[in-house]
Amino acid sequence: MSEAIVVNLFFTARVVFLGAIFIAFPRISRKGLMFGVYIGESTADREATRRLLSSWTRSVIGAMGLTLALGYGISLAGQPVAGNLTGTAFILLLALGLYIRFHFKARELAPAAAARQGEKAVAVLDAGEPKGKTLAKVALAICAVASLGAFAYANIAWDPSAELSYLVVMSVPAFNLVVTPILALSAVLTASAKLSVREGGGGRSAEAQAAFRDINTSVFSWMALLTCAFLTVLSVQVAHFEESNKGALVITLLVGAVIVVGFGFGSLVRIMRSYGQGGALRERGGVDAPLTDGLADDARWVMGMFYVNRNDPSILVEKRFGIGYAFNWGNRTAVLIMASYLVLVLGVSAIVLMGALTRG
Amino acid sequence: MLTISIDRSIEYPVYEQIADQVRQLIATGALAPGAALPSVRRLAGDLGVNLNTVARAYRVLEDEGFLTIRDRAGVVVAAPAEEIDETVRADLVDDLRATLARLRQAGMTPEELSAVAWSELLALDGDRENEDE
Repeated sequence: MSEAIVVNLFFTARVVFLGAIFIAFPRISRKGLMFGVYIGESTADREATRRLLSSWTRSVIGAMGLTLALGYGISLAGQPVAGNLTGTAFILLLALGLYIRFHFKARELAPAAAARQGEKAVAVLDAGEPKGKTLAKVALAICAVASLGAFAYANIAWDPSAELSYLVVMSVPAFNLVVTPILALSAVLTASAKLSVREGGGGRSAEAQAAFRDINTSVFSWMALLTCAFLTVLSVQVAHFEESNKGALVITLLVGAVIVVGFGFGSLVRIMRSYGQGGALRERGGVDAPLTDGLADDARWVMGMFYVNRNDPSILVEKRFGIGYAFNWGNRTAVLIMASYLVLVLGVSAIVLMGALTRG
Repeated sequence: MLTISIDRSIEYPVYEQIADQVRQLIATGALAPGAALPSVRRLAGDLGVNLNTVARAYRVLEDEGFLTIRDRAGVVVAAPAEEIDETVRADLVDDLRATLARLRQAGMTPEELSAVAWSELLALDGDRENEDE
């Protein structure tokens, strides 16, 4: 099979996957939320809302078609990799543009009464400690030590006579260092994420959300551990790469990639199918009460994507659109975490690039 | 699950809304002695209010003897006192007297007051018995 066909197959799969995710997002959202706007529970059942949802589906399918045409076009011109990358960037930009357009359309649906709901908030008193917090902390400790150790080890183990350049050898532990601790930290933060409980509902809303938070904590923890194990082993193998052990490296790469991607993809599908955003699928049927506080207050959300509330000590809050949690940009700790992460990425990149310049 | 709710749009202070509801849950036995309450940070996060608001509500409840706040054990519901302190009794009787005076001034007869007081007491005991069952 030629390289172009393989690249185009991966490209097509990626476009279909992204398109399916975008089509699913508004359908797995909490009732009352539409494209990052709190339209209220009763409006969610109206014909205008259903039409908006159908229009979104048609638009995403159109975006997928345009993306595939662009990617295949560039590929036919002899640049399959460029077509793949351009197409991927194109569909992400198109989806962002569509989201903004539909966000403003959804604003027109929101009745004035919905805005007042943000003044109310509900909290659970007897929820107990979130599940998986200990696992998340253990994962963070393991990932931090293993990724740092692998980085230092590869740096020492590489010598100028090696078959692979310093930059290639260090790219794997560097990636490990900037990805896996942040995955594990996400697990720790998710365990303490805010619960935006509906008013009333006999605790069903709270149970659904607690279950959603627990599964996310668990997925992030295991994803961090699996990725860290894979990249740490790969870092050591790359540091000692020789033509004779190429087979072992390829096997690690393939097996590791299948496990990590399979686990990530499977978990995402499981959460979307069994839980829905914020446990929406488990909440439905029993709860038709209004959303409260963070999720209902439009004034605290910029474009329905960025939550900014200085009075809220929560670091992570439930996303209004998409799956998972969003940062509270009004919280100092949240901003400090993002700034520290940026420093880590820049610092690791600088160390690797300086090493490549001085050591070859 | 036991929940409490707040409404920022009303005049009543948020810390008092929290304290009132926790007090009620303890009085009815829904929150038993020794039951752990969420930390200040967690409750403030879930309600989307400042940490000081929840801390103030907890302090008020601690002063009134409803909660015990320890660094390690966190916030737990306190057991009812076995014997009432005379100063506390005097303060509470003063509060009761002021409330009774307001109710009388609002037009309630002594018979109605007595009936309301009995029904409230019975409701408290009834809720506690239901919790025990």
